[in-house]
Amino acid sequence: MTTLTFPLSRIEGHAQVVIEVQEGQVKSARFQATELRGFDYLVRGAPAEQMPVIVPRICGVCSTAHHVAAVRALEDAFGVTPPPLALTIRELLLLGQLLQNQATSLFVFTLPDRMNVDSLLEVTAPVLDQAACSTVTGCALHVRQAGTHLIGLAGGQFIHPVKAVVGGVTSGIAADAAAAMRAELEAALPVACMLLDTYWEASLALRERIGTWGDDAPACYMAAVAGARPNFYGDFIRMMGCEGGDVCATFAARDYRTHLTVEESDYSYAGHTSYRGNVIRANSLARVNMWTQLATSRADAYLQRFHAAFGQPTHALLLYDLARGIELVYAIERAMEILVDPLDYEDTDVPYTPRDGEGFGLVEAPRGPLIHHYVIEDGLIAQAEFIIPTVHNVLAIERALRVVAERYITTERVNLELERAVGRVVRAFDPCIACATH
Amino acid sequence: MKQFAVLQLSGCAGCEVSLLNAEEWVERYQLVYMPLVVSAYDVPAVDVLLVSGGVRTDEDLYKLRKAVKQAQQVVAVGTCAISGGVANLGNRDDVRALFLAREERYHVPHLLPKSHPVDAMVGVDLYLPGCPPTPELFMAALSDPAAYQASKTVCGECGRKKVREMRPEHLLGFQQGRVLPDICLINQGYLCIGSSTRGGCRAPCTRAGHPCVGCRGPSDAFIEKESAAWLASIQKVFAAMTDIPPDEVEAALRSPHLALFLFQFADYAGTSRPKEKVL
Repeated sequence: MTTLTFPLSRIEGHAQVVIEVQEGQVKSARFQATELRGFDYLVRGAPAEQMPVIVPRICGVCSTAHHVAAVRALEDAFGVTPPPLALTIRELLLLGQLLQNQATSLFVFTLPDRMNVDSLLEVTAPVLDQAACSTVTGCALHVRQAGTHLIGLAGGQFIHPVKAVVGGVTSGIAADAAAAMRAELEAALPVACMLLDTYWEASLALRERIGTWGDDAPACYMAAVAGARPNFYGDFIRMMGCEGGDVCATFAARDYRTHLTVEESDYSYAGHTSYRGNVIRANSLARVNMWTQLATSRADAYLQRFHAAFGQPTHALLLYDLARGIELVYAIERAMEILVDPLDYEDTDVPYTPRDGEGFGLVEAPRGPLIHHYVIEDGLIAQAEFIIPTVHNVLAIERALRVVAERYITTERVNLELERAVGRVVRAFDPCIACATH
Repeated sequence: MKQFAVLQLSGCAGCEVSLLNAEEWVERYQLVYMPLVVSAYDVPAVDVLLVSGGVRTDEDLYKLRKAVKQAQQVVAVGTCAISGGVANLGNRDDVRALFLAREERYHVPHLLPKSHPVDAMVGVDLYLPGCPPTPELFMAALSDPAAYQASKTVCGECGRKKVREMRPEHLLGFQQGRVLPDICLINQGYLCIGSSTRGGCRAPCTRAGHPCVGCRGPSDAFIEKESAAWLASIQKVFAAMTDIPPDEVEAALRSPHLALFLFQFADYAGTSRPKEKVL
């Protein structure tokens, strides 16, 4: 038996892919997370109200999603309903998270694959007609920076936010700061669209070169939803297309164990989940498969173009990346809408009384539904669970890895394209290993 | 052009995300190794090696020891690499016993008995604390650390006013209650430790209304002393500015498992950290 090991780069955290081959037959294709920090153990005994400051440190890329999920879990346990201003600022936080993350994934992680280089820093092609930047590298960093600026504005600190607290937020957003942020986003929007157009073209060229969009078998799509519009401050988890049908389940975070099977793995520090034996797919493609409109003009134009070109739902793997681009544009447009409204009035929070009990917090993180589950005793965390979006995708990643392994391994040879294909498969899911293992 | 590498050990990548925000380096320095951004599998010879995260697995330790041989200068970046950071909460004996017993796996790096700061394992030339350090601090570390100017403490950068007539009688806890704009958080009864936390971050948390949790570590006045001196100085500030009973402050500072100071209590391994080496 031959074992092929592929170290991974341009993803968040430490992971590798191991493929076992016997006489040209692919025996296994595994995705191994190789780090562990043990947050579900190390937060034990921490004062419950400090969780929103502790848990962003699970991951510096997804910190905002953890920050908001922690606050929601505590509010669920304490029976608190925050005021509208707090909800609006939390939505801004999650949009900043989406913008920062999708820009990082699209440009820092996967654009180099489209351009056949080792890093974004090598994509120094000049860009015309943009005031803010003169190269693809510069423009890409510029757009993702707007995301961290938005997190900084809505969350106080720009990587590990502090402003969302139980009962609300610590402060509003001053009118001049909101206007400056809006202007920054307004400038970033055409740059983001230009980059997405470039990316779209490069993706079509890649498809042309390799002859496939990757694993296109149906899967069970999963996203947190609320109301009619896309809403990352989700109330329920929705499963779609699991056994060929449309919506197959909608459930609250606290009921996740009755719908999802969560299993540990003995070869990875990350576990995996499934839905009644079906492979789950979360993240951008799951959402774009569910949405018919986004209600912002440029993002809707891209969404319609996407559905017209590839169908709805579509299962082709590399379309995850394009779907991320649509969301990038949506995040900018939606944040601009919100920043028009006054955000500096006084009604930032409601009083509350902490109490012991159990709470669940849900948000739609860039990678899919994120659940925090806490049990509180004597004001301290007695037990904590983090249900991570990347973990929902692990079986889908391994299925797609098997597809490329079988495509590029024959009894005669291993096509060296396999190494690049493995990278493309994993990055399409944009896994976050720090989160997955926590 | 100065070449640098970024080695990420067990951490959250927040330091790397902050570095990406400091886009000026793109034109001035050449990044040759940083798995988050560049596909390259080994650290080549470099002028500067930035190390983030704690030493948590045998693989972390192996990579660290291999990488430092390639570097002229080693910079420990972020709280995890310097003083343990949040991973420190996992160094409590009861917690260690829990996850070392439950998390054995095949074919993946093994966990060390505890998380270690970088300088417990290799020599460090410069410390860049913060969770994460701001882009401005990254640029200062890469260009000319000695020339970097900042206030000595977070207090000096916060901009909130201290008010003599507001003397709270009890701690409000960690973050309860509506925060008044522009007024010192200690005057409002919050357990803020910005008075002795190292400046240079520009106080984003306290400006937004959240107490400083000390992620940059002690200021120059305390960094070469034992942690008890740091705790005593915080208590002195509360005694001077509030009517909160000293016992209450003491209890809060030593709150369950020191969670508030989750950033600062790693195994210092007997190494001293002279203030000249800390940005």
